[in-house]
Amino acid sequence: MAAIERKPGGLRLALAAACGALGVAGAPAHATEVSTGALAYAEPGRVKAFELMADGTHEFTNGNLGTFRLVFDALTGASANGAAPSRNAQTFTSPSGSSGYTAEPGETPLDTTFKDTRFAGSGGLTIPWGRLTKATVGVYGSFESDYTSLGVNGALSRDFFQRNTTITLRGSHFADSVSPMGGAPVPFSAMAAPVPGEHDDKAALEDDGGGGSESKGVTDLGVGLTQVLTRRTLLALNYTGTNVTGYQTDPYKILSVVNGTTGDPAPGTGTPELFLYENRPDKRSKHAAAAELIQNLGRDIMTLSYRWYEDDWGIKSRTTEVSYRLNFQPTRYVQPNLRWYHQGAADFYRRYLVQGAALPDFASADYRLGEMDAVSLGLKYGTKLKGGNDLTLRLEYYKQTGNHAPSDAIGSLRDLDLYPTVDAIIANVGLTFGKQ
Amino acid sequence: MDARTTRRLLPALGLLVAGMTLGGCASMGVKPWERDILARPGMTPGDDVITSSLDEHIYFSKEASTGGLGSGGGGCGCN
Repeated sequence: MAAIERKPGGLRLALAAACGALGVAGAPAHATEVSTGALAYAEPGRVKAFELMADGTHEFTNGNLGTFRLVFDALTGASANGAAPSRNAQTFTSPSGSSGYTAEPGETPLDTTFKDTRFAGSGGLTIPWGRLTKATVGVYGSFESDYTSLGVNGALSRDFFQRNTTITLRGSHFADSVSPMGGAPVPFSAMAAPVPGEHDDKAALEDDGGGGSESKGVTDLGVGLTQVLTRRTLLALNYTGTNVTGYQTDPYKILSVVNGTTGDPAPGTGTPELFLYENRPDKRSKHAAAAELIQNLGRDIMTLSYRWYEDDWGIKSRTTEVSYRLNFQPTRYVQPNLRWYHQGAADFYRRYLVQGAALPDFASADYRLGEMDAVSLGLKYGTKLKGGNDLTLRLEYYKQTGNHAPSDAIGSLRDLDLYPTVDAIIANVGLTFGKQ
Repeated sequence: MDARTTRRLLPALGLLVAGMTLGGCASMGVKPWERDILARPGMTPGDDVITSSLDEHIYFSKEASTGGLGSGGGGCGCN
């Protein structure tokens, strides 16, 4: 960011005040950039989300760089609970335990009571260390009604070879706390019938066997290399290793137990169908390596990226993305982008469990752990407004498909869609102030 | 070569590749006065922080993979 003195506006003054509150005052405002964005996300008949974000950087005269980010999002709608569809109607208990919901015959069971809001904030300080090295430290916090995440992060980067090469080492640690509505269920315990009123009290449900709150730790270590290849070409290579320990089960996801011949739901004790809460391993080790190539083509810019990912839950994925920035005017562009994603299933992914068969150590029917392909197709428009601020508008379509008719499906399940397609429409607007 | 031997050789192979890459990096790139095109909008990885962060959140919520170009991260109990 160029170091140009500007008359501080309201936003800039507010940010300078915020930086002062963070203890980095004493240096006058030098250059500030704030990006804001709003996103609307909708899966027809399922989840809807709305997200607001503000991201800012503030450069001080001593060369330090302060950053902040604030995020608010609200989610509502229906989310797949993991149970298999059935040729008969099925009833489920809401997470509170006090009410129920129904899936019609042949319908994918969706938890219609899903609703959440989240606030997240982060701040960081980048300090030059000599002419070629920079150190960054930061903090992060995210708060939902049933989930809290607190994190710290740090990075060290150094330029080499006339600043044509930059190597970055980074690390972060998050301490997450999960407090599911009604308490964390005992793994593989049966979903009980709704008890109106009685289970509105969370403590009462915990007395019935609920596990209360759980915790999880996430540690990331990464290394990145950014290399200028030519006057028009830039290459970025990154590796991230992630170690997760603690509670990683989704407390709201269940599995159907079906008859091994008919495929119909097995009856539970006091319930017409038997559903068991899922259980995932409490350790996960992830490895992700990615390459991004940015090529200037004269007027336009093409970006290609590829990501390789594997973890010890057995998930392997490959992601390829291409975007083309068509600068049709000096200050205006359109940018189509296309992303392909393929993911193999987790070792313990089961679409359902069979009555009478021995329980596996771990099992989840969460479609996000199943084998899937996803395609995103988007179009972004960007322009510089009067006064120099940048405006971007983007529309994207996301489609996720899986094996909706597995060859080993049992009985009546052969005629039902066991992995329905997920479609989503995404729209977002972004406004950047003070870009140099 | 069995999987155990491969795992033992991976760090050495990684160091070798890193060394060769860095050696190669020294002969690549541009002079400081040739950075005009590289300084243009769109030529920096993660240039549009808002769009890339929003995308990352969506993919984090809908898919089982994280990390790579962005953070591996924890951060939310996304559905």
